[in-house]
Amino acid sequence: MRTILYIEDDREIGRFVKDDLESRGFSVHWLLSGEGADKSLAKADLVILDVMLPGLDGFTIGQRLKRKQGDIPILMLSARTAVDDKLAGLQFADDYLTKPFHPDELAARIDVLLRRSGKDSVEEIELGHLRINLKENRIETIAGEEILLTAKQHQIFTYLLRHPNQILTKEQLYEGIWQESYQEGDKTLQVHIRYLREKIEKDPSQPTIIETIRGIGYRVKQ
Amino acid sequence: MKRLKRSLLVQYVLIILFATMILPVSMVGLSIVFYNTLYKEESVDRLYNGTDLEEMWHRTAKGLEQATEKEIRDKFGQLNEVYTDANLYWVDAQGMTRVMFPANLSVREQWSATDAIQFMKDHRGLTTDPFTTVAFLGDQGINGFIVFQLPRSDMESPSDKLRAQYNFLFPIALLTVFGVFILISTLFFYRIRKRLLHLQEAMSISDQSGIPSPVAVSREDEIGRLELSFNRMVQEVEEGRLRQIEEEELRKELIANLSHDLRTPLTTIRGHAYRLQQEQLSEKGMESVKLLDEKIKYMDGLIDNLVSYTLLTTGKYPFHPEQIDIVRLVRTSFAAWYPVFENLQFTMELDIPDRQIFWQADPQWLGRILDNLLQNIHRHAADGRFIAIRIQEETLVIEDHGPGMKSKSSFQGVGIGLSIVSLMIKEMNLAWDIQTTTQGTTMTIRQRQRSYTNEH
Repeated sequence: MRTILYIEDDREIGRFVKDDLESRGFSVHWLLSGEGADKSLAKADLVILDVMLPGLDGFTIGQRLKRKQGDIPILMLSARTAVDDKLAGLQFADDYLTKPFHPDELAARIDVLLRRSGKDSVEEIELGHLRINLKENRIETIAGEEILLTAKQHQIFTYLLRHPNQILTKEQLYEGIWQESYQEGDKTLQVHIRYLREKIEKDPSQPTIIETIRGIGYRVKQ
Repeated sequence: MKRLKRSLLVQYVLIILFATMILPVSMVGLSIVFYNTLYKEESVDRLYNGTDLEEMWHRTAKGLEQATEKEIRDKFGQLNEVYTDANLYWVDAQGMTRVMFPANLSVREQWSATDAIQFMKDHRGLTTDPFTTVAFLGDQGINGFIVFQLPRSDMESPSDKLRAQYNFLFPIALLTVFGVFILISTLFFYRIRKRLLHLQEAMSISDQSGIPSPVAVSREDEIGRLELSFNRMVQEVEEGRLRQIEEEELRKELIANLSHDLRTPLTTIRGHAYRLQQEQLSEKGMESVKLLDEKIKYMDGLIDNLVSYTLLTTGKYPFHPEQIDIVRLVRTSFAAWYPVFENLQFTMELDIPDRQIFWQADPQWLGRILDNLLQNIHRHAADGRFIAIRIQEETLVIEDHGPGMKSKSSFQGVGIGLSIVSLMIKEMNLAWDIQTTTQGTTMTIRQRQRSYTNEH
């Protein structure tokens, strides 16, 4: 079971979020302030931090936690104005959600963060005619036929899977995978996606797995 | 008293007094100096003046009335020692020339009455040279007469010579005194001018905050007091500025806190509305919960807009303009909205070029503008089920087929969202226009000019 460390001083919101997340199958460790957060960090897969806290504020606690365990995903929650907090908060936080948020959205963000950090407990995804094992990096059809991808193709596909239902622009994808800034007009990504589709799509001219959003980018719906 | 001594006015009055006094005082002063140095008592006991000489000669004649020739010779010898260049001789009653000094003097030996009168005619007068004086010896000249002749060149006293030699010094000394006065008054004025200019310079030079730096107070006179007042004013302005910064910070903090305090209960309400939704509800109940959620979302947007609007109008909205690729920015912004419009089954037209187009703008601001405009379409133009975004070199066009902004159905919240867009566009030196009919709305944002000034 995935464990979430949740730091929130408002008892009503805290109670509700804890209940909701627990009903979604998470184990939630709820603290009223940053005190003792260090101790609970080791067991946590993800941290949800409120910005306005008594004593040390959320930013300070978040930075401290990141220093202690750099790979822990942190989701900031704030009821303050997004204007100045957002910039300061996002420097270390992995995501940011403003109150009042919809519980479904919070859950969706948590899913994305966990999957991105590789802490997702879901090992197998079924996507159309494909069955993908994220832990073993194995892709096969429902019929059991294994599909072998090149390193780059695999990287691109995994990147899309780790951002489910999210439209990724050409720039985001290119920069996320090649780790260098995208040059407008570069066709490398398109070429790789065309070859990738030839391997994973049933009909590469009518793609269903990797969707092209014209003028914007690509998306994998799950 | 001390203050009076340091007053510029007093200094000025002193100079003016000095100016009015300098002419007479220096005349008198110089004269005294000249007199004392040049008009010294004559060292040799002899006479130079014609009148004095004449008197002296008549006195001599009186003393020699009954004198023998020897006595006359002795007297003439004495006089000749004093007046070395003088001619002295005695003509006796018979008209014979006797006793001549110097001895080789060429004078007629025998005098007739006519000769005497001719001699007198030739040698008397103010300008005749040599200077001649004649005196009778004895009553009616019974013993003849004696003549004294002195070249006029020998009638100049040494002090006269000295005076003639140094006379030119007097006007020079006078001119020097005037020169000194002009120098002093010029220096006086120049010093005032210099200090005034210094002050003026200090007032026009300002540091980054736009407030001049204090000046060093040089003296305690009127200008010194002006400098003191200037420094006091600078300090007050500086304090005022700091107070204003502090107040603005407080205000910003207050707004942030207000936003927090409003949103926190909204979060709870939204959570509980969601929980209600999970319960078994009637259709009407479900509808109410749905409406509740929508209104919470709407209020959230409203709070955000209010905060943004307040920050924008007070110039406190963080602003960092740079060269940004608007193609990329529009693509990223629209990617987030795509699923929303997709769910509402919009027809989406994206006419975005496949190259970079750079605008000078703040990416956060432009993102906010796009969000507000797309939000607007989502809320108020969803009926048209159409959205188009087109980017050309200088323009960004967003089009919908909604009922138009003036229609009755339009939401009242439109105001603040578009006000923010309008303010941000103006602040970034962009231009925009809206064409709205009942068939739809077209919004165009364009770059006004390439050169961009940061006025924030």
